[in-house]
Amino acid sequence: MSDLSRRDFLKLTTTTLLTISGALGVGALFRFLDYQTEPPAKTEFDLGPAANYPIGSRSLVPDVPAFLIHSQNGFSALSLVCTHLGCTVEQKGGEFACPCHGSLYNADGKVLRGPAQKPLRALRVEVNSNGNLILHTD
Amino acid sequence: MRPSFFHHLHPPTIPAKQSRWRYTLGAGGMAVFLLLVLGATGILELFYYIPTPDQAARSIQTISYLVPFGGLVRNIHFWAAQLLLIVSAVHLVRVVFTGSYAPPRRFNYLLGLALFIFAILLDFTGYVLRWDQGIQWALVVGTNLIKTIPLIGNLLYIVLTGGTQPGLPTLIRFYAWHIFGLTLGAVILGVWHIFRVRRDGGIAVPPPPLRVDKERITRKELARREVLAMLMTGAALILFAAFIPAPIAQPISDINVMAGDAKAPWFFLWVQQMLKWGDPFTWGVFVPLIVLAVLALIPYIFPKPADSELGKWFPRSNRSAQIILAVIALLIIVLTIFGSLPAS
Repeated sequence: MSDLSRRDFLKLTTTTLLTISGALGVGALFRFLDYQTEPPAKTEFDLGPAANYPIGSRSLVPDVPAFLIHSQNGFSALSLVCTHLGCTVEQKGGEFACPCHGSLYNADGKVLRGPAQKPLRALRVEVNSNGNLILHTD
Repeated sequence: MRPSFFHHLHPPTIPAKQSRWRYTLGAGGMAVFLLLVLGATGILELFYYIPTPDQAARSIQTISYLVPFGGLVRNIHFWAAQLLLIVSAVHLVRVVFTGSYAPPRRFNYLLGLALFIFAILLDFTGYVLRWDQGIQWALVVGTNLIKTIPLIGNLLYIVLTGGTQPGLPTLIRFYAWHIFGLTLGAVILGVWHIFRVRRDGGIAVPPPPLRVDKERITRKELARREVLAMLMTGAALILFAAFIPAPIAQPISDINVMAGDAKAPWFFLWVQQMLKWGDPFTWGVFVPLIVLAVLALIPYIFPKPADSELGKWFPRSNRSAQIILAVIALLIIVLTIFGSLPAS
């Protein structure tokens, strides 16, 4: 037999069991709170007939929020969510400025001034069978 | 006199020198009073506040502009919350600058620090409950900061907001934390903190043989001063509430649509200022946690003030702790001032 006394054994058992139940409880609590009641946020936006956006047009789509560009090369879109901490950037003389922490992007979404490190995200745009523009944010 | 609950709070007599305003600044007592005021006005607000994105800001407008005395109740709640952060900070500074955190009061210092964190969280959750355009960006930034924590960031984000972006579940969760979870925690910590003051031998004073000034005041005199402090604080609150209304703006229509003020609430302006410097996790999570850790370690890493120097301002024997706290406080104040300047 080992040197473990009856008292120490009971103490160790109690501590171990309490620790395990505590950890299980915390795990369960996190799983309980991790549930999402709302459907995931929309990732597809119908912007209406593509013909509404002629070549050379640059339009703000506030509820995405995104910036839609129709150039000679076709449609492209920039997410207006600042890559630093997610504020919506504002258009300022062809550039995009973040009001929260001062990041600055050029018209193509490249970082001109931090704190943001990554460029504004390019979003996928396609024309569906009805001729409507569909913007994807995923 | 018949022993009563009151006798548990105060010993029969306490040293006169350490019960002067100029020593305690009355900050701890004022914090207790403000918590009581916040509890009372908060309960009244519960009767009208509706925690849904559509109704929250509108219900606050109803309280503020339509309900008789509603504006007064809400403004007092608002100003008491702002004042609570200030007096808590003053109390913390007083305790460090007088070396009162030394053993046996080390643990109570930590309890006090935890209470301060709870006060900040209560202020932030309360601010978010407005669910108006004034809080929109602070909410987006604050919750996105959680996401930057390595490994557990995404889980914590969902646990906190109840979804992939702020919405109804977020408001409900902040509401639950504000009126129940954090409040319960603050009450438990607060009662424990006050209990420990008495348990640790009252306010820090030199041991009897080293005491120069042996004069003492009765608990009746102490209670008189406390009531005076409450009356003055109460008067200040009513004055503020009557003349400077608490902010409320348009309801948030779409969490992604830019509107309103991009400024953090005033007590987080220093963090917002640091976030302009770069990596969000480093400046928005790591550095504030380091500041907190340094504050928590003060009683453990700095020498204990000499017994003879207890119970007075700026004891020579704990200069290092005073300097560290002064530097931290100064940096936070300077960053707050820079953060409050309008963006260029």
